[in-house]
Amino acid sequence: MKASCIKAITRKDAVAAMRNKLIVLGLFAGVIFAVMYYVLPSTVEETFTVALYDGSSSQLFPPVSELEMEGIHIIFFTSGEEFEKAVEEGDYVAGIALPENFDSQLLSGKQPTITLYFKSDVPESVRTSIEYFIQLTIEYVALGEQPIDIETEMLGEDMAGKHIPLREQSLPFFLVFALMMEMWTISTLIVEESAFGTMRAVLVTPASPSDVIISKGIVGIGYSLIVVVSILILTQSVRGNLPVLFLGIFLGAIMAVSMGLFLGSLTKDILGSYIYVAVPMLILILPGMFIFVPDISLSIVKVIPTYYLANAFGQILNSGAGLVGVWKDFLIIAGFDTVFFVLGVYALRRRFS
Amino acid sequence: MMTTDGEKIIETENLTYSYGDTLAVDHISFSVEKGEILGFLGPNGAGKTTTVKMLTGQLVPQEGWGKVLGFDVAQEPKKIHEKIGVCFEEKNLYPRLTVKENLEFFVNLFGLEVDIDPLLKRVDLSKWVNDRVETLSKGLQQRVMFVRSMINDPDVLFLDEPTVGLDPISADAIRNIILTEKKKGKTVFLTTHNMMEADKLSDRVAFINEGKIVALDTPENLKLKLGKRTLKVKMRTEKGFEEETLPLRDPETPKRAKELLEKRNIATIHTQEATLEEVFMKLTGRKLEQ
Ligand SMILES: Nc1ncnc2c1ncn2[C@@H]1O[C@H](COP(=O)(O)OP(=O)(O)OP(=O)(O)O)[C@@H](O)[C@H]1O
Ligand SMILES: [Mg+2]
Repeated sequence: MKASCIKAITRKDAVAAMRNKLIVLGLFAGVIFAVMYYVLPSTVEETFTVALYDGSSSQLFPPVSELEMEGIHIIFFTSGEEFEKAVEEGDYVAGIALPENFDSQLLSGKQPTITLYFKSDVPESVRTSIEYFIQLTIEYVALGEQPIDIETEMLGEDMAGKHIPLREQSLPFFLVFALMMEMWTISTLIVEESAFGTMRAVLVTPASPSDVIISKGIVGIGYSLIVVVSILILTQSVRGNLPVLFLGIFLGAIMAVSMGLFLGSLTKDILGSYIYVAVPMLILILPGMFIFVPDISLSIVKVIPTYYLANAFGQILNSGAGLVGVWKDFLIIAGFDTVFFVLGVYALRRRFS
Repeated sequence: MMTTDGEKIIETENLTYSYGDTLAVDHISFSVEKGEILGFLGPNGAGKTTTVKMLTGQLVPQEGWGKVLGFDVAQEPKKIHEKIGVCFEEKNLYPRLTVKENLEFFVNLFGLEVDIDPLLKRVDLSKWVNDRVETLSKGLQQRVMFVRSMINDPDVLFLDEPTVGLDPISADAIRNIILTEKKKGKTVFLTTHNMMEADKLSDRVAFINEGKIVALDTPENLKLKLGKRTLKVKMRTEKGFEEETLPLRDPETPKRAKELLEKRNIATIHTQEATLEEVFMKLTGRKLEQ
C-alpha cells in the first residue's frame, strides 16, 4: 500500500466520476429527495377511526350517530371476535369495548369498566384525546356523575414515537436510498477500469490492487457523504445526536462501497454491470420503503441489512435516540459490512491479479 | 555482436505459459543486456504479448523463470514496476480524461514530478494536450500510450507494437526516440511484426513462432547465415529489359555472371540483401505479416 498511489487514484477517480453523466446525476438525488420530502405531509392525520364493541346492545350507551364528532369516526361491532381482529390488525387507532353488563351495572349504580385498546404506536396526545372523548360520552350518558372505570391496554410491541409525520418517516428511506446508490458509482468505476484495460496499466506501476480498492472506497464514501449531507441540509434535518448519526452514515457508506466492490468484480462489461447492481440495490432499499406501509409484518424485512440502517436513522432523527438506542443496529450493520467487505476485496483481488 | 560480459537486464529460462490448452509461450530462454534493443519478431499469435505479460508481472510464468533488473518476475514484480515502462498492445487510456490528465495520473502514481511537455513535443502531441482521449484518433492515442510508457524515465522499456497504426512520420518519430533512449543506456524489449522496424532498430532479433524462439541473432547475422544474398542483373534486349537473379554463394554464379557480362548488353547490376521476412519464411515456412 502506498499513500501516494492512493492519493493519485482517488483524485483520478473523483475527476473521472464527475465526467460520468449518470454518476453526476446521482449527486442530484439529494435535491430530488428533498423535493419529495417537502411534498409529503408534515402533520399526522387528524381523524381517528375508532372501533366500538357493544356485545350486549346497550340501550343506555348513545347511538353512534350521536357520538360522532369532529376528528373521530366510529365503526360499530357487535361480534367480539371481529372487533378483536380489527383492532389487532391495526385498522383502528383505538378500540372501545363495553362490558356485557354495561346497562345493568349503570342502572344499579355500579361502576362498569370500559376497556380501551390502543395500538402501541399511538402517541400520547391521541390517547388522551380518545380518553377525553369517552369521558364526554359517559358524561352524556350519566349526566355528569359517571361512575365508570376506564382501563387502557396497549397492543403490539412498544414502538412509541413511530407515529410521526410521513415526511419525517421518509427521511431514513431517502438516506438509505442515497447511500445504496453509491454501490453503483463504485461498481461502475471498477468495471470501467477493467473494460478500458486501464487496470493493467495501473498495476505495472508502483500501485497495487489494494491501492485501487481503497481509493475506490474513499471516492464512494466521499460521494455518499455529499449526497446524504445535502439531503439533511436541504430538508433541514441536521438534528439528533450528530456523532451517532454520522457513524450510522459511515457504516451505511461502507456497506454500499463493499457491495459495489463485490458487484464490480462480477463483470467486465459496463452495461452488464448495471444489471448486476440493479437487483441488489432494489433489495437493499426495500426496508426503507416499508416505512410507507407501516403495518406490514416486518419480520421478513429484517433479513435485509439495510433494515437496521433505516431503523437506526429513524431512531436517531425522529426519536432522539443516541448510541444506547441504536448500538444493536450498528453492530448488525458492522457485521454485514465486514462480511461484504471481505467478500468484495477477495473477489477483486482475485480479479486483478 | 553483443559482448557477453554486459549486464543482463532481462533474463529468462524455459519461460512457459499456456492458456488452457493453448501453449502460448513454450520454454523460451534468452537474455537482453543493458543498452540493448531486442526485437521480438513473430506473426500473430506467436506469443509475443504473452511473453511481455510475464516479464512485466501481469502473468505468472507456469514454468521456468524470468528476471528483470535482477528481480524475479513472479516474486518481486513491484520492484520491477518502479523502473520499467510498458506500452501495451491494446490502447488502455482513460477516455474521459484529457491527454494531460491521463499522463499526470501516471506521473503521480510513480510519485514523481515530471514536466510532460517536452515528451509531448517529441511526439508532436502538444496541440491535443487538453483534449479528452475519447476524442482523439487511434494514431494520436497510440502516441499518448507511448509517452505514458516513458513517463517515469524507465531503465527498461517493454514496447508491444508501439508504432502500429501510426503514419510513417509519427512512427519514425517514435523509432528515433527509442534509439535515443538506447543511447542513454536504456534497455528495450520491442515486439513487432514489422520486419523493417525490427531490422532498423534491433541490436538483436528473436524470431518467435508458435511460442518458440526459432532464431536469435543480430539482423545482419540472421540475413547472412540464413538469407540468400543475390546478384541481380538487368539486361537490355530487343524487346526491352530482361532480368536474371543469381544466388551469391552459388559456385555456379561467377561463371554465369561472366557469361552474362560478355554476351549481353548489361543495364544494371546490383547485389541484393536478404530481408528478415525471407529469413523468417525460410525458418518457419510462415509469413510475418498476414
Ligand atoms: N487471454 C487469452 N486467453 C486464451 N488464449 C489466449 C489469450 N491471450 C492469448 N491467447 C492465445 O495465446 C497465443 C499467443 O498469443 P499472444 O497474444 O501472446 O500472441 P502475439 O504474438 O502477441 O500476437 P499478435 O501479433 O497478434 O499480438 C495465441 O494463440 C492466442 O490466441
Ligand atoms: Mg501481441
